[in-house]
Amino acid sequence: MPAAANVNASAAQLLDAHGLTKVYGNLVALDHADFRVMPGEVRALIGSNGAGKSTLIKVLTGAIMPTSGSVTLDGAELPLGRPEEMIRHGIGCIYQHSNMAPALSVLDNIFLGRQPTRRFGLVDVKAQRREAEELLKRYCIDLDLDATVGELPTVKQKEVEIVKALALDAKVLLMDEPTGWLAASDVRRLHDTIRLLKSRGVGIVYISHMLDEIFTVCDTMTIMRDGRVIAEADVADMTRAKVIELMVGDRLARESSAAAGEARHPRGNGEIRLSVKGLSRRGMFRDVSFDLYGGEILCITGLIGSKRTELMHAIFGSEPRDAGTVEIDGKPVDFRAPGDAMACGVGFVPEDRHRDGLMLGMTVTENLVMTTLDRFRRLFLLDRRGIEAASRRSIDDLSVKPADGRKLVRQLSGGNQQKVLVGKWLRLGPKVIILDEPTVGVDVGAKAEIYSILRAERDRGAAVLVVSSDLEEVMTVADRIGIMVSGRLRSIHDTTDMSMAQVVAEIGAE
Amino acid sequence: MRVQSAFIAVVLFFLAVLAFFCVFAPNFATASNFEDLMAGFSFIAILAIGESFPILLRGIDLSVGATLALAGMVAFDLTLMFDVPGYVAIPITLAVATLCGAVNGALIVKLRLQPFIATLSTLAAYRGLVYAISGRQLVPELSTTPLSDPWIMGLDTYFDIGSATGLSSLIELPWVPLSFFIMIATLVVFGVMLGRTRFGRDIYTVGGNAEAARLAGINVGRTIIIAYAICGFCAGLGALLMIARLSTTTESLGMGMEMSAIAAAVIGGVSLSGGIGGLAGPVIGTFLLGMVLIGLTLLGISQFVQQILTGVILLIAVGHDRFLAVRRQKRLAANLAEEA
Repeated sequence: MPAAANVNASAAQLLDAHGLTKVYGNLVALDHADFRVMPGEVRALIGSNGAGKSTLIKVLTGAIMPTSGSVTLDGAELPLGRPEEMIRHGIGCIYQHSNMAPALSVLDNIFLGRQPTRRFGLVDVKAQRREAEELLKRYCIDLDLDATVGELPTVKQKEVEIVKALALDAKVLLMDEPTGWLAASDVRRLHDTIRLLKSRGVGIVYISHMLDEIFTVCDTMTIMRDGRVIAEADVADMTRAKVIELMVGDRLARESSAAAGEARHPRGNGEIRLSVKGLSRRGMFRDVSFDLYGGEILCITGLIGSKRTELMHAIFGSEPRDAGTVEIDGKPVDFRAPGDAMACGVGFVPEDRHRDGLMLGMTVTENLVMTTLDRFRRLFLLDRRGIEAASRRSIDDLSVKPADGRKLVRQLSGGNQQKVLVGKWLRLGPKVIILDEPTVGVDVGAKAEIYSILRAERDRGAAVLVVSSDLEEVMTVADRIGIMVSGRLRSIHDTTDMSMAQVVAEIGAE
Repeated sequence: MRVQSAFIAVVLFFLAVLAFFCVFAPNFATASNFEDLMAGFSFIAILAIGESFPILLRGIDLSVGATLALAGMVAFDLTLMFDVPGYVAIPITLAVATLCGAVNGALIVKLRLQPFIATLSTLAAYRGLVYAISGRQLVPELSTTPLSDPWIMGLDTYFDIGSATGLSSLIELPWVPLSFFIMIATLVVFGVMLGRTRFGRDIYTVGGNAEAARLAGINVGRTIIIAYAICGFCAGLGALLMIARLSTTTESLGMGMEMSAIAAAVIGGVSLSGGIGGLAGPVIGTFLLGMVLIGLTLLGISQFVQQILTGVILLIAVGHDRFLAVRRQKRLAANLAEEA
């Protein structure tokens, strides 16, 4: 059954979320979002990070209580903010990361937590098996009920999760990045399963950053930006470029103002600092080569999932590579661990400051001097006064607020945490500094400050390599722009030669 | 160094328990009682100092009791079976114990074992080794021979602080055992190491967030191995003090003592979730436990009740630790929600 083209049609809507709003403090994460799914429809939910997708999903699964708005399923209004009610009424969710007991069998997992019982609370194994077999037959899914889940390939585990949701009579299935961990052939298999579910009248919400997959398997799409639903359309009516344009939005219009007024220094001072040749890692990125010059900022952009982060880790030595060479100042290097790279003057500001970057429970000072502690060593002891003075200098340079080195990093705002993270690496005085999404979750003011820090590093002669998905950011700070598509570095351009629309077109290109 | 609220809590609790027993337990507030307390619990405090290192790394060392027994047996064999003088036997004993700890660390780093599993295995292995090399079994007549090496037996010395300072004319002071001073020296050396050296910072960093530590260029594996080696060293030191006091050793020396060490560390504010805590806390935690045991005995309360109460104190400490951790996480989540 083809999806209804007109989303306003009053025809039997399966799921109808109306006017959903979620406010955190003075931040509106979700702003009067309307979201509908028809029976037998696969609807893509698209938006860049922070667009409000996950907030919407969390409302639909009952994980959070919206500030206002309502959700009806099959015409009946659902009580919000209660996960068990959402499941009972038929909203199932397949999470990005598996949610199963790996040591138990497929059958046990399907009925986890709600085994049908007989007298004395004994599990009614026969009834379980009957019910499960019926489900598998109805949805034409081929699974061995006695296999141990942990030993199944990932795609099969996804199928178990799907069956688990179906066993609960899910009428709507939310799938959050369902193909994140799957190989290409398994993606096709999963898509076949989705089509089957669709033909049985299940409504599916498909959340993915992979535009390819959306164009392959989805009927309709809802595009979100800044907490609002900004477009609903049939997939057939859309092009990739149009989708990305909608995701990026009015930033296109701001391009000229952002880009103007800053001198660009493509290839900086003409000295090659970092040279990457033929870098590959199986299943990640292939044959990546580029030169990075002192005194320039090179931004690598692309869709999420284009493996930019993995590439940066391979250069820094914190994750392996299969082939290729890295040269610093013309000398080949072989970084086996981050310490090797640091000894060669390479710094790396990782993407997730909470997971990989900062010691949240330690003080600002302790975090700032972490990479340079050896410089404060007198015999065996650390020079506390020297550390405090250095920390004060960094705090002043970066204008960290509050300007108190004894504060725990946890107590700082996101923007100031990020400044501490960047500052920790700048203290190293790196020749090459790599930054992965340096302004995610940071307010506008702190963004501008981080940009000026990057420019100051560049003007000092450092080679700056930035990974960013934020095109406005790329157009603002880059001297040159590299575009990565599906694990390959597609092209590198001088920023002055490119408009944002051209960058968008290249990112979306096959 | 920041003073943790858990540390303040244990100090206050310590003082309250001290005051309680001084008032209610007969013969508690006497010089000889405090002498017993210091002699009986200083070496456990040393174990607790050592145990704090793995726990700061979000790990645990269950093998300290077995390591202690192995070190004790090595010292016994060297001096009694091979007539090795104490000034040689003592360094060898400490080296063996340090090696035991380093092996734990290496298993955790190289084989990527869970610290619990790795040290549970070595607990069994080290204890088995004790029986295998036991001089008491190999040369039966030695089992009744007391240790006589002057270097080792010299560890069981007491100092009359009162008459040395002339205070004994005013107040009766306990004779302080050498083991107490060794414990204080251990506390100072490792405390400075933890608070004021690069290695100490690395311990907190790795325990707080191992992945971030790795990306900051810290050699995480080496840090872990050294930390477990320190734990082993402390067990060796504890073994020497213990056999000196007993003037012999047995195969079951230190059986279950890992529990006291872990309990003292946790009661002393070393967080089981890693990265938080100091070394003074575990020392106070040890004497708190010791005080409760001795005090309850003096009150005539049965051994079993004492064990129950020890368990309850541990539960309170761990519960408090978890409570603080959950509160930290909630605050963090609230901050994240605000900025997300």
